[in-house]
Amino acid sequence: MINFEEELKKFHPSLEIEDAEDAIYNQDLTDVADVLVGMMQQVKEEK
Amino acid sequence: MKCYNCGCQLSEKDFCTSCGADVALYKRIMYASNFFYNQGLERAGVRDLSGAVISLRQSLKFNKNNVEARNLLGLVYYEMGDVVRGLGEWVISKNLRSEKNIADDYINMIQDNPTRLDAINQTIKKYNLALGYCQQDSLDLAVIQLKKVLSLNPRYVQAHQLLALLYIKAEEWEKAQRELKKCLKIDTGSTTTLRYLKEVEEMLQADENAKGDRKKREKVSDGVIKYQSGNETIIQPVGNRENRSLSVILNIGIGIAIGVAAACFLLLPARLNMANNAAQNELRAVSEQLDKKTSAIEDLEQQVKSLSEENDRLRTTVAEYEGDDGTMMVIDGLLGAVSVYMEEPDNTEKIAKALESVKPEEAGQIESPAFQNLYQLLMEKVGPSIANAYYESGMQSYRKELYEDAIRDFELAAGYDPSNGDILYDLGNAYRKQGNNDKAAEIYKQVIESFPDTEKARRAQSYLDEINNNAG
Repeated sequence: MINFEEELKKFHPSLEIEDAEDAIYNQDLTDVADVLVGMMQQVKEEK
Repeated sequence: MKCYNCGCQLSEKDFCTSCGADVALYKRIMYASNFFYNQGLERAGVRDLSGAVISLRQSLKFNKNNVEARNLLGLVYYEMGDVVRGLGEWVISKNLRSEKNIADDYINMIQDNPTRLDAINQTIKKYNLALGYCQQDSLDLAVIQLKKVLSLNPRYVQAHQLLALLYIKAEEWEKAQRELKKCLKIDTGSTTTLRYLKEVEEMLQADENAKGDRKKREKVSDGVIKYQSGNETIIQPVGNRENRSLSVILNIGIGIAIGVAAACFLLLPARLNMANNAAQNELRAVSEQLDKKTSAIEDLEQQVKSLSEENDRLRTTVAEYEGDDGTMMVIDGLLGAVSVYMEEPDNTEKIAKALESVKPEEAGQIESPAFQNLYQLLMEKVGPSIANAYYESGMQSYRKELYEDAIRDFELAAGYDPSNGDILYDLGNAYRKQGNNDKAAEIYKQVIESFPDTEKARRAQSYLDEINNNAG
């Protein structure tokens, strides 16, 4: 049985066009490759 | 694939041949990103948009520079109705690779149409408003807003899902099913849609079963069966099984009868009236034409009458001119006589013959001054001699006792020379000798009046007395 309140919580407001710019700027674009490179850098420095 | 350290093209080795950096793990990360991109592409191909989003985001988590995955993700968001998110991905993609990037075209397609962009914005605002209404428990308002949203953007999957949820809450299972089916057409893999649809179908099935039972068991005390079918309440009397075909035929028959009656009582009189009016108008027009024609005929008849009268008058005039004793004959005779006189002035006999058609009393009636002058001139010239000739002829006839001939010649002589008393006197004698005393008396009176105190007058008087005595 579907619980209306619970299901409603899963719905979030959509981004409006005015908010698009901020959303793009604030997006975290760190990927696994960056994490790997960061880790390898750290290892290198420790060495 | 390029080295993360120096940017050189990598070989099949697990290290960069340029800078020597260990690229084994890096390569595997890139491969994983590509794997998820392929998966996302495959899912997008079968319209499993939700699945495609998951795969593509996974791909980007491994490699944010996977421009193809980012472009495809933007496209999938756009197709699901989340335009701003799609636009965001394309903008990032364009920043990562500014040249030869299809994201450019996608961005231009949206930005070049400001009206559409504004409509998209309105859609998003209304959706957010509807969501707000839901959270405030104003479900009816939320439904209205969501319907507006979907009319502007029918591919907005989230709006369909929210609306379906509201219908589920209101237990309007069929409406919810309709919305969820629309969702499935856009995004076949959405677990939310599938879950809602499963719930709705279960409820619909349960309803069908309950309807069947309720149909058999539910009975209101006043002898009717009552049950719900969706939004409709059906009330049916108990034990009343309709004979469908008979009722259909009967209903059709009643409908036809009502139609015919309506036609007879409503349409037919109006049409008859119209036809009547048309006939009346035509009749009026024909009558007017007839009146005009009659009037024209009368005018023409009048014209014909006056023309006939004119014709008759002209014929008469022409006949007067052309007749044996007409004016033309008289003028012709005079001209002929003048012509003879001009050629042979002493040929009295010929001139007299030519003047036969010019009787003095007729000549006097011709009003032409030229004719009268010519006639008078000719008479002055030849009148006495002609009169003399006729007198001589008359006297010969008188002596032979041919009084009729004598009277004729004396008359003619008197016409040509009225001043000759002898002619008049002998004319009276001729009448007397003939026995025509009245005419003789008339002539004698003329002699007495015209030539008084002459021998002729005295003798005429004595003859006149004698006649009067004989008459008395």
